[in-house]
This record gives sequence, C-alpha cells and structure tokens, in this order.
Amino acid sequence: MPDPTDYSDLIEADRVHRTLYTDEQIFRTEMNKIYGGTWTYLAHASELSKPYSFVRRTLGLRPVIVTKDRNGQFHGVLNRCTHRGATVCRDESGTARRFTCPYHNWSFDNTGALVGVPMEEGYGPDFDKSKLGLGKLRVAEYRGFIFGTLNSELPDLETHLGHAARRLDEWMDRWPGGRISVRHGQHKLICNGNWKLVNDNSADGYHPGFSHASLLRMRKDRYGGGVDMQWVLGNVDEGLQTVADLGNGHTFLDQRREIERYWDQSAPMPGEDSYVETLRTRMGEKAEAALDMVMGSGMNLNIFPNLLIIGNQIQVIVPRALARTDLIWYSTSIEADDIPPEINSLRMRLQEDFPSFGEPDDLANFEECQSGLSVPEMEWLVVSRHRTTGKEYVDEHGHTTGPVTDELPIRAFWAEWQKWMTSTTKLVAQ
Amino acid sequence: MDDLHDETGGAMKSLDDYFDPGFTVDDILADAKTSPYINDAYYAKLRADMQEWDAAGAPLTEAERQDYEALILQENWLLDRRNFERWYQLYTRECVYWVPAAHDLPANAELDPQSHVTIAFDDRRRMGDRIVWLRTGVAYSQLPPSYTAHHASGFVRVSTVTKGEVKVRSQFILHEMRANNPVQTLSGWMGHVFKSEDGKLKIDRKVVCLLDAQRAHHNLTFLI
Ligand code: FES
Ligand SMILES: [Fe+2]
Repeated sequence: MPDPTDYSDLIEADRVHRTLYTDEQIFRTEMNKIYGGTWTYLAHASELSKPYSFVRRTLGLRPVIVTKDRNGQFHGVLNRCTHRGATVCRDESGTARRFTCPYHNWSFDNTGALVGVPMEEGYGPDFDKSKLGLGKLRVAEYRGFIFGTLNSELPDLETHLGHAARRLDEWMDRWPGGRISVRHGQHKLICNGNWKLVNDNSADGYHPGFSHASLLRMRKDRYGGGVDMQWVLGNVDEGLQTVADLGNGHTFLDQRREIERYWDQSAPMPGEDSYVETLRTRMGEKAEAALDMVMGSGMNLNIFPNLLIIGNQIQVIVPRALARTDLIWYSTSIEADDIPPEINSLRMRLQEDFPSFGEPDDLANFEECQSGLSVPEMEWLVVSRHRTTGKEYVDEHGHTTGPVTDELPIRAFWAEWQKWMTSTTKLVAQ
Repeated sequence: MDDLHDETGGAMKSLDDYFDPGFTVDDILADAKTSPYINDAYYAKLRADMQEWDAAGAPLTEAERQDYEALILQENWLLDRRNFERWYQLYTRECVYWVPAAHDLPANAELDPQSHVTIAFDDRRRMGDRIVWLRTGVAYSQLPPSYTAHHASGFVRVSTVTKGEVKVRSQFILHEMRANNPVQTLSGWMGHVFKSEDGKLKIDRKVVCLLDAQRAHHNLTFLI
C-alpha cells in the first residue's frame, strides 16, 4: 500500500487511491487542514436576520457559533469555553447577547469576549480576561454567504471565490431585485459514506441517467417526455450540458442550455394546477416569468469544500466521521415585492422532489461505494473520463470546460485537496 | 355523533370488500395526473387541523374502534406488506400524506407546510408518483426494500368543528430494516382525518409527527 502521508502516491492523473476514502488518519487531517484551512461555508445571512442572532455550525468537526452583533457584523467563534472546555452554546439557533457557559458560568459576549467570571478574584491579581475570549474565526460574507477560516494568510473571500462568485451572482440574480431567503426548513440526509463521495458526485453528469433511473422512469411513464431532467438520458456527451473547473477547487455543471422554458420543463409539484390558475388569472402574462422561478436553476455550483448549490437549494456537506456524512439541503425562497407568495409555496413543494425521489438513490450508491472501497486488494478508482479525448477546451473566461460526463471536476477537486493537505500554514483561532 | 358509516348505515362488514382487487400500479399511472386542490384554503385547513390535534382526546368507543382503529391497523398492515396499491385506495381523491420536518408539534411554528419544506407532502398525485417510483424496480434506495413493522396504540378521538369528518390521533413506533443497515426506530404521533367517499370510509389527511423530525435521517424512502 502506498504511504498514506505522501498524497502524491495516492492521487495520479487518471486514478485515485481507495484509502483517500477509508483512512482514519487522512480523515482527521482533512478535518483540521481543509476545513478551516480554506474558506469554508458556514451559514447564510438570512438565517441571522435579527441583531444578536446566532446559529450553531461545525467547521470540520469543530463546534462553532456564527453570530451577528448589534451593528450587523457577523462573527464566528469556537463553541468551546476557555475555562475547562465545555460548549457554551447548546441551542441550534436563536438570539443571545451573551453565551454563558452552564458549567461555571463564565460568560462571553457574542463577539467572543470574556465578560464575566464568577468570583473572579479567586484567580489572583494577574488574571487577564482579555486573553480568554472564545477562539475566533476569520469570517467574511459574499452577498449573504458567510464563510469562515482559521487561516490568516488566505486571500480575501471574493478573490478566493473567483469566477465562482460570478456564477453565484447568476444563481442569485435570476429574479432582478430578488433576495434569497434560507429560512424555510431543511432536508437532513444521513449518508454512511465518506464526505468526498458527495463531492465526487456534485458535478458528475455521467451518473444521472443511471443512478436516477427510478426518478426518470417514473416521470416518463407518468408524464411523458419533456419534463425535468429528461435531458440526462441517452448520450449526454452529445447534449448541451457542460462541466467546468472554476479554479481553487470550485466546479460547475451547467444544465441551462437544455432548458427552453423553465416552468414547462419543471418536475411536478403539489398545488401546481391550482396556483397556476390563480396566478394567471391575477397576473396575466406576467405570471409566466414568475412561474419560471419555481423551477430549479439548472445550475450545480460547487464551492470547495462543502457548499453545493443545486437547483434552488443550498446543499451543505457536514462530515461527522470517516464513513458518516450529513447532507443538509437548505430550502430557499425568493423575496421580492413582485414575487407573489404562491411562487414560494410552489418552491417549497418542488424542493421536496429531489430529496425524495433523487438524492436517496445516490446516497444508497455512495454507501455501496464505501463498502466496495474497503477491499484492500482493489486499490484504485478511475477518474480519467475525457481527460485525453480532446473534448476539453478553455472557455472565454479561461476555464477548462468539458462535456458533461467529463471527470474533470473530480480531478480539480483532488488538485485542491492536495494543496490543503500538504499546506504548512499554521491555523490559529485568534 | 356523525360517524362516517357506509351508506348501509353499519360499520364496514369486511375489509376485503373494501379494495378493488384488480387495481394495479397501471391504474395509478393513469390516475390523478394533475394537482388541482392544494391551495391557500387547503393549507389553512391543515393549520386548523393542527390546532384541533392539540386538544385532549377521548378513548374510542367499541363502535369507533371497529371503524377507525380498524382502518388504521389495516393501513399499517398494508404498508408493512408493501401493498401500496391497496394503501392508495384507503385515501380520498383530495388527500394528503404529510410528514413535517419540524419536531415538537403542534407547538412548533416551523410546521406550516405552505412556507416550509417537509419530509413528505404528498397530494394524490405525488402519492401516485411515489408508488410508481417505488415500483420502477430501479429505486436503488429501496433495493432491497425496507421491511417495516408499524405499531400503533393510544387511539383517541379528537373533536372537530368540521362536519362530515372524524379525527383520530394515535401514538406509533415503527421499526425498519433494510439491507445491511441496523434496524431503525421511528416514533411519534399520527393524526388521521376520516371522511366518507363513494360510500366508503377513507383517509382524507394523515399527518405523521416524528419525534426526531428535525434531526438527520438515514433513508426515509419507505412509507411511515
Ligand atoms: S467550563 Fe465553562 S465555565 Fe467552566
Ligand atoms: Fe445525482
């Protein structure tokens, strides 16, 4: 077996080694060096709408709290009491000016500063509260998307996102003036597989016609052709979808050119016919553009390492253990004066479709990958698709782009992964 | 008491007469291909239901057990046998099968399905989609299928202001086993709203309130 500390032995141009998915030491290193080494997605600003709001999240396996102070500034602090280590925040979300550790009641303001210690004099005259604030993350926001890192040497967030930020703009600006709201519940799916099996799939245009055969067959048998995702059938390399490497591990699968009319090609959803009638009666021709906003974006935008924009949803990868990953699908609505509430009700129902009839089949396949990858004698996974077929090209923005089944996004992921795993930058909680 | 006995006036004699034996997945394929009834009024009805579910219930009388408890137990048995085509026949034409993603119901404001995603919100059409999907033979999350054992108890009748409807709340435990996975346990309470349609007692609305609705779940592609 190759030496698991020398990652270049595990990642070759055409294939990667199974231990990347099965080795405990690699997993522990990833949790410390990738999550927190690079900009890592934490939360959306709309989840923290009020002053003093907070949400509890993880940065790798580190418990963190994302807060909003009274001036509307976001902060990320480690949920780890500086006294003897207990978590200070035990609610998923809420509002709090202070976090008081339940163990001995040390209390911290929502920027992490230590502001109260019971019977403080017992620590003697040299005790300095200002040195005992909660560990702080470096936090930045791009148009509502809040990221954190423990790396003070990283470039600023927007530079790091690069062209992925432009794609995120396109995703957010489908409705001019619309604001994305992430306060409408989540699907939380457990996968008993390594977190990277999810990344491998996130811009995989090869699998849908096969792994999602159940969804596609159900749709076709019941509703005929033309509806959602029928473009993934047949030889998709001859279709209009593409994948691209956006740099810094960010990748993009674009289905949009296959969609002629969003509303007409949408998957079915409860309430469809009743609300269409209401909206067309009330809005006339203007209803059509609004209805298009119900359907998913036709974009899969993957921001390394844990944020996957898919359709209308924000999917977040939450690694829990080597072979245990939680996938959180945050549903979204659009807030705008000219978006009627019916559109968002329909969006709720449509956002239940894929977590019900699509994603579970993938998760079952990922779990079976985890099982198969345990075989020591079969060492490699193939990631070479379209690397040498001459089908890749550089697009007008300078990004390598390929046919939708190109395994380019997986290769781009591993290049970025290797960069962080071999990084010598010291991570610090300031 | 406006019990929903069939047109002959008595409780259902035999559940075997209840189902059309020739009804198959092909009938479901052709049934309910539009979604015309989920609207603001329907969501308002679900919010009103949730208020009514909060009330204390009365244990069922013997006659009520023969009608409502029997139908819920029959539903459980059909689901455990994966007889989805019969299960589908238990429901009205304007039904909903709803599994909120919010726990601690009815107290939780995040329950409103009009503005929140759910674990399942199936109108008649999506219920059909789900059965057709399960029957495709390529739904890998159900290959092999989940084997389930539904246990229901604590049946109480909850009063309702809606004429022609009967509300029954119950507690449940559900064990599920699939492939090599450990047996999972789900529990919580359910609400069934019964209505008479075509001379038969049917389920118009079912809400499944999971104890751990807000936690992550492993493969909930079976029916609860
Ligand atoms: S561990 Fe937090 S106050 Fe003691
Ligand atoms: Fe997929």
